[in-house]
This record gives sequence, C-alpha cells and structure tokens, in this order.
Amino acid sequence: MKAKIRVGIPRGLLYYKHKVLWTNFIKELGADPIISPETNKEILNNGIKHSIDEGCLSSKIYMGHVDWLRNRVDYVFVPRVASYSKNDQTCVRLFALPDIVENTFYGIKLLKYNLDIQNGKTEKVEFLKLGLKLNKNIFTVISAYKKAKIRQLEYEKGQEARQIKLLENVGKLKILIASHSYNTYDKLIGFPVKHYLEKLNTEVIYADRVSKNNAIKASCKISKSLYWSHNQEILGAVELYKDKIDGIILLTTFPCGPDSLVNDLCIRKIKNIPIAYILIDELQGEAGMHTRLESFVDIISARKGVTRCR
Amino acid sequence: MNAYLGVDIGSISTKGVIIDENNNILAEKYLWTEGNPINAVRNLLDGLKLQLNDDIKVKAVGTTGSARKLVGAILNAQVVKNEITAHAIGTLSLYPDVRTILEIGGQDSKIIILDDGIVADYAMNTLCAAGTGSFLSSQAKRLGVEVEEFGVHALKSKNPTKIAARCTVFAESDLVHKAQIGHKKEDIIAGLCKAVASNYLNNVGKGKKIKAPIVFQGGVSKNIGVTKAFEEAIGEQVIVDKYGHLMGGLGIAIFAKNQGREGEFDFNIKDMVFETKGQECDKCPNNCEIISVYRNGVLIDFWGNRCDNGALI
Repeated sequence: MKAKIRVGIPRGLLYYKHKVLWTNFIKELGADPIISPETNKEILNNGIKHSIDEGCLSSKIYMGHVDWLRNRVDYVFVPRVASYSKNDQTCVRLFALPDIVENTFYGIKLLKYNLDIQNGKTEKVEFLKLGLKLNKNIFTVISAYKKAKIRQLEYEKGQEARQIKLLENVGKLKILIASHSYNTYDKLIGFPVKHYLEKLNTEVIYADRVSKNNAIKASCKISKSLYWSHNQEILGAVELYKDKIDGIILLTTFPCGPDSLVNDLCIRKIKNIPIAYILIDELQGEAGMHTRLESFVDIISARKGVTRCR
Repeated sequence: MNAYLGVDIGSISTKGVIIDENNNILAEKYLWTEGNPINAVRNLLDGLKLQLNDDIKVKAVGTTGSARKLVGAILNAQVVKNEITAHAIGTLSLYPDVRTILEIGGQDSKIIILDDGIVADYAMNTLCAAGTGSFLSSQAKRLGVEVEEFGVHALKSKNPTKIAARCTVFAESDLVHKAQIGHKKEDIIAGLCKAVASNYLNNVGKGKKIKAPIVFQGGVSKNIGVTKAFEEAIGEQVIVDKYGHLMGGLGIAIFAKNQGREGEFDFNIKDMVFETKGQECDKCPNNCEIISVYRNGVLIDFWGNRCDNGALI
C-alpha cells in the first residue's frame, strides 16, 4: 500500500477556527493530517527566531509551529484567508501568511487555498482546487468538502449549545474571554488565563462559541464601520452576551493592530460591565497576569455582593 | 492583646503595618526593598517589633505586593492577596466615602473607582512602566536631583516645560533636549510631574469618571508636584493621606483580621535562614522556571511550574 501523504497543519492562527473543516477535508481525500503539538516555549522561541520583530506574538507562535512541522511532513497547510464577505477583511498578516512562510522557510512545500470574497475567491472553488492536488477524482473532492463543511458547522453548533447551557448557570461568576480563538485556546497565551480564572472559581465563556451571523449583526450595534472580520465577531459576541455575563477580559497579544483599536472602542462603548484589558507579549511572566485577574474577580465579586470590601 | 500584621512588599519599597482589633495602627515601618525582599522583610519585622509592647500577640498575617507569594510563604501568611484589593480595603477604612483612588507605585499605576464602598471599576497600566515611580527616579538621577526633593523643586516653577512622557525613552531624549536649549531645572521637573499626571489620566484613567473625594496614594503621592498637577488637571481637591504609602499594608492587615483563620506568628522568624532557588524544570520543552523556598534548609513552598511534572513536593 502506498504511504499516505502527510499534511502538516500548524496549531496556530486560524487553525482553532477552522480545524474541523481542515482536518476532515484532508482525511476525506485520503491524506494524513498531522497537527503540530500544543505551543511550548521551544516552539515560541523558534517562532521568534523565524519572525520579524514587528510581528504579533500569535504570528510568531505560528511560525514556530510551521518550523516544527516542516521536516516532518510532505506538505504544510498554510491558507490565505483575506475576507469572508464583501464587507470585511482579515488582518494583513493573514493576507500574507503563505508568502511570509514561503519566504522564511526556503523550499518549503505548501498546500494553500485563497479565500477572498472581495476578489471573487470563494471557499468552495478554492477547496476544489486544493483538493485536486491531493486527489485526482473531482467527485471525491466535492464530497470531501461537503462532508467536512457539515462537520465544521455541526461542531460550531454544538459548541454554541454547550455554552448557552453554561450561561444559564446562576451559581458562578461568568467571565467572557473576548479574544481571537488563536489566543484564547493557545497553551501559552490563553490557557494560563483560563486556568487561573477557573482556579478562582469562575465560569469561563468564550467569544467564539456563538453563531457567526448573529455576532456580526450584533456588532453593528456597537460600530457599523468596523471591517475586520474576526474583530466583528468578537465585538458581536460582547454585545450578545453582555447582559448574561459578569465581566469581560480583552485578551490581546502584542502588538495586534486591529485589537488595539477595537479594544479601545469596546472599553468606550460598553458601559456598566467591568472590563479588564490583558496584553500578552513574549517576555511577560505570569505574575502580572495573576494580579490583574485576581483583582478583577475580586471587583466583580464585590459588585455582585459576594464579598464586601468594608 | 490581639494584633494583625500586614506586609506590602513592592518592587521598590516594603511596608509593614500592625493593627489592633479596631484597625488602629500599633506599629508601622517603611523601607526600601533593594531587590532583596527576604532581607527587607527581616529588617521590617525588626523595626516593627521595637514599636510593640510585649503583651501583643499577632494572630494573623496577610501579604500583598509583587513579592506577596514569596513573603507569604516565609511568614506563613493566612492571606496572600493582590495589591489592588488591599489598597481599596485600606483606603476605605480611613475614607469610607472615597469615590476614586489614584495610585502610582514603583512599577504599576492603577485607578480604583468605588461606588458606595464597593469597588466598581479599576484599571491598571499594561506592560509599560512609563509615568510610574521608577520613571521619575531615573529622570531624577539624570537631572542630579534626589527624587524625594522633586516636589519641592516643581513647586518653584512658574512656567513648567512641556515634556512628552508617553514613553520613558522619548521623555528622556526630550528632557535632555529641553535642558540643552536652556530650560530651567525646576521648570523641567515641574514639566515631568505634569507629564506623569496627564500620562496617567490618559492611559490608566482613560474613559473613567473621576469623582471626588479623590485619594492619591503610592510612593509617587509623596511628590507634591504630581499631586498639584493632578489637582489642576482634574479640577478637584486630591487628598494625600500621611499613611498613603501604608494603605496596602493596612488593607491586607484588615483583610487578615476579617478572614477568620488564625495562626501562631512568631517574630523569631527573622532569625531563621530562608533561601530561594530558581531552577529550570527540564522535563518538557516548556522549561518552566521553578522557584523553591527553603526554611533552615527544608523546602516549604515552590511555584512557577505549569503542570504537575514540575511539582517538587
């Protein structure tokens, strides 16, 4: 039997958002998806080594994952996701991702697709083009895309349903982590925050576990002119959840351009709910984060009358 | 008589307060941390003990500040709490109707907004220490002035120099430039104080409604130039308490008193040998830096590990 083609998926950036679609599509085509391990310091340090200084921490971590994969797989899967609709755009680093990777790791073999609705590049056509590189049978490719897409949607619905249940839990303080999924779920960035919040006996709510369409509609209540797709979704989740939660944590990696503007917008527009702004960079220890989170939870508890300062 | 000890170990200074059942301060001490929190606490306990009568028994201990964990382990503290909560409790005990607490410390700056005695909102500086105590002391060094005298110099100025204090690096080059083209020293110092206040209000205090009564505390509150600059910028009176630097210690002592648990505390702790050791875990690629604390050669606590693989006990 011929060995399966090994396709490496870096565990960073949009992986967390589209992981079910990506892995299932590759599997359905008869290839073997290999996902790099959870971020650790070694991956981070290799990522920093292969990035320009001005890049954000999340993109540096991504480069570390590519570096981990590149000698272990036949192809590395690095898509370009530029826009999901006529009215939005992602961050420039996501625009340039395949180019950055190809120009950093000389000779690396990439698998990519180019999702850019503003320029007429739709997901379906792009996935078919990508699929044909791994499997010559167009019918297999079409059915692989359909199956993977259905699984992704099912997964998203399940996540949302589970979260709605958590929101009904009245006993615990509920804190929304409003951040990109690649920050929220990263082992070095968001995990320590989530872990510490759970240690403080709070229920963690995630901004990405919400219907995308509803979120984008809701974001218009805060700003109509915002065009960064992922920030629209986060802001929309804040708007949708703000009456059901006790506090918001804006978790940002340094130096994220879109977040620096949108977080400020959020702090100015959302009133009557405590917001903590946590900025993470590659040099930071955990002590500052703990101080901020602990005091934040103390404040919320005091507001809820759980404990009083006096 | 029962008493309660609160220790606030900041990056620059270490503060200790001992209170009685009614929150009256029985003993207080303020000294520099000088990069050695263990030694600072030892000296602190020495200083506190001298002020106490023999019949006083310390029933509970609380620690706060950036070295709260380390010192908490050493003193076997019942409460280890962040400084924001501690400051709020301390200030509220002296000013029950305070609405806004401005605080500028050695590395941090924070704002706490209170509503009816409950912390309603707060903000803290992010990564950067611009506009905090360490910024002022490094500029003081450059100008050849003791940072403690900054306020006095600032008050002499009639025409404060405009200084860009958004970033310490820019501020420093701006300051050198202004000095070289002939601005007076007191004008520059007054400009720095103004810049600290406006930087604080634009960053930490962004979007917050600052309502009187306002209490200003932390090491920088001892600088009357900054206090004046705040009063001008906000247009309200800013209160600086004579115990302003002790609020964290006082707050954590009150917290220790109220939390219910008690434990024997012995001042002899200052004669014990405490050692800390930092080591890399090496058990996975994360290489967590684990700090362990030894009392008379026996491991009493450790932290820094991300998972149980790094557990030392």
